[in-house]
Amino acid sequence: MNDEQLQPHSAFRFHGSWVEFARIAFPNLLLTIVTLGIYRFWATTREREYLWSKTDFIDERLEWTGRGMELFIGFIMVFLLIGLPFIVIQLVSQGLIFQGLPVLAGLLTFAMFLSLFYLTGVAYFRALRYRLSRTYWRGIRGGSDDPGFQYGLSYMWKWVVGWLPLFLMVPWAMISLWNDRWNAMSFGPHRFSANAQWTPLMKRYLLFYLVPFLFFGGAVIFGISMAASGGTPDALGDTGMAIGGILAVVAVLTLYIIIPLAALLFYSKYFRMAVGGLRLHTLEFAFRARAADWVLFFLANMAIIICTLGIGYIFMPYRNWKFFVEHMEAYGEINIDELTQSQTVVEKHGEGLLDAFDVGAI
Amino acid sequence: MSTFFDVAHYDGQKAVKRKVEVQVVGPQFYVLENEHRSGPFAFADVEYVTKQGEADVYGLAGHDGWRLILSGPVPSDLKGLLPTPRRYGGWVDRLGLGKAVIAFALTSAAAVAVVLFSPQRLAPLIPDSVDDRLGDALVGDFGGRFCHTPAGDAALQKLVASLDAAPQDLRVEVANIDMLNAVALPGGNVILFDGLLKQARSPDEVAGVLAHEIGHVREKHVMQALLRQMGLAVVLGGVDGNSGAMVNNLLAMSYSRNAEAEADAHSMQALGNANISPVGTASFFDRLSQLDGSEGTVKGNVDITSYLSSHPLSASRKDAFEKSIVKGKNYKPALTPTEWTELKTMCAQDRKAKSGFGFDFN
Repeated sequence: MNDEQLQPHSAFRFHGSWVEFARIAFPNLLLTIVTLGIYRFWATTREREYLWSKTDFIDERLEWTGRGMELFIGFIMVFLLIGLPFIVIQLVSQGLIFQGLPVLAGLLTFAMFLSLFYLTGVAYFRALRYRLSRTYWRGIRGGSDDPGFQYGLSYMWKWVVGWLPLFLMVPWAMISLWNDRWNAMSFGPHRFSANAQWTPLMKRYLLFYLVPFLFFGGAVIFGISMAASGGTPDALGDTGMAIGGILAVVAVLTLYIIIPLAALLFYSKYFRMAVGGLRLHTLEFAFRARAADWVLFFLANMAIIICTLGIGYIFMPYRNWKFFVEHMEAYGEINIDELTQSQTVVEKHGEGLLDAFDVGAI
Repeated sequence: MSTFFDVAHYDGQKAVKRKVEVQVVGPQFYVLENEHRSGPFAFADVEYVTKQGEADVYGLAGHDGWRLILSGPVPSDLKGLLPTPRRYGGWVDRLGLGKAVIAFALTSAAAVAVVLFSPQRLAPLIPDSVDDRLGDALVGDFGGRFCHTPAGDAALQKLVASLDAAPQDLRVEVANIDMLNAVALPGGNVILFDGLLKQARSPDEVAGVLAHEIGHVREKHVMQALLRQMGLAVVLGGVDGNSGAMVNNLLAMSYSRNAEAEADAHSMQALGNANISPVGTASFFDRLSQLDGSEGTVKGNVDITSYLSSHPLSASRKDAFEKSIVKGKNYKPALTPTEWTELKTMCAQDRKAKSGFGFDFN
């Protein structure tokens, strides 16, 4: 009786309006400025409260229960535990260079870089955990009991393996880490399972990877054929100039349009594969945005930011969330009676690390 | 006596939504569902969670996921017992947005003012031992780049003694680095770079620059700058990334210009006391001013950009030094021709002194 049958295309719905969001975003901006940025933790919280509360999963709204103070404490922790030691290390290594010990200074800097690398991995993990533990649906929340320290190590070695063979294993690293992250998470009594495949990503990854080479190869072939036909752009006069102009346009197009486009093509597939491999008990998930949707989304974002001379930037959290929710899909059924409260630990601090490194969580 | 209200409820144990009645009994209440009754709960433990559409959602301290969802207007009897909805966060809600913005703006301005103005007062309070240790850690033997010859050292000592009443707390060295620069560092350390000595046309020019750096030491500018930078890093720590760094640099820059003017005043005073003509220093700045806005390099690849960026316009400084010339005064040269030659060629003579920067092992 309490089983909820999921209709396709209806599991996640977003009812927000940008006018309502503006009433939150503009005071946020004002308060953030007059507090020299400190209010931004409370600003983020207010925005999430709004966005979550305007998001339906099946028949009930989501609820964001995170608090600004938690994010602030997370930030202070990062400042004391990482920021200050790193400033000291930087001063010390500068002193070492002055004193003629550049090797020691180099080692120290390398150690600093390694620990930052490790902490970035931990930060990704903990941010996801924090967000799940503060997201409630029907009074039930998610979370994880894993503190993410092990994940930090996986993050390091998997990225190194991804980069070593000339960056060819990057898709494997991305998918494998996504799976590691989500396999440690749960919602209510159920554990997520993530089995996303990385091999289907390779075609698009190679496309992205090869664009610069293809372009360079094309230019070389063009140059050779020009030389072979005995003509130089100079000798051809106007035609030569025109061809040179076309070449320049193609170069600019490649740099600013084709490479980002190829990257987006890859990323849209990555996100579809990653979400598609996700299960929660009897629920399966899908992300329906195709490459064209992503392209339109980014173009619209750029247009908004440019046309508003940058002020539109404050609407980006709204746009991102809307895009995410409108393309999320879930299939299967949930037994509401079986969905009991999560027993995972709840940390008192927010995503400080991730906030400090300025990276996104999902 | 008790009052009843119909509300939606999640118990936080299961995801099942219940229609319940809240029975208010004084400062406590019960939750009734059919014949089942839970409680009593204290109104003091009720927390405001979030707004979902038109509904206000309340939680209960210590009960994870426990929710009362009151849709529509809350009956006035109940309203007085429930906590007030949260909008911007505790302090802002209590003050109101307008007053909070003004209060925050004033506090921020005060914090920045304290950080900018207190270093002048605080720097003299830092014990010399701390200053000395910091200087030793930072400078040490400068990686073996200090030049020494008996005659050159004697000339330098004579110059320092003529410019400062307590030369024993100063440590003036010549570094074998081909840059047109001189620096004052903590612990009374002053370093003249060999590039400056090579460019100088008379010992009077070097005396002016040296007295300027000694001015930085005597006015405690280095410690002030350090304190100010640390303070700004803390105060602007909440502002993210680039804008924070930009404001920080702008503020630091305007202060460094002030400090330069003070050091110049000190220099003119010291030159006057030592009976050394400021003409040399004026002509040195005259030559620098001709480089202002040029590519920043002089013959012999001596980089002067670093010197210019942190110093006031050389042309105005030249005027200041020229004005400090006392007509009819019988100035004597800062060093004898032999002493000047020894100082100028000290680095060329000292074969043991290493040259260049940390990573340059030539």
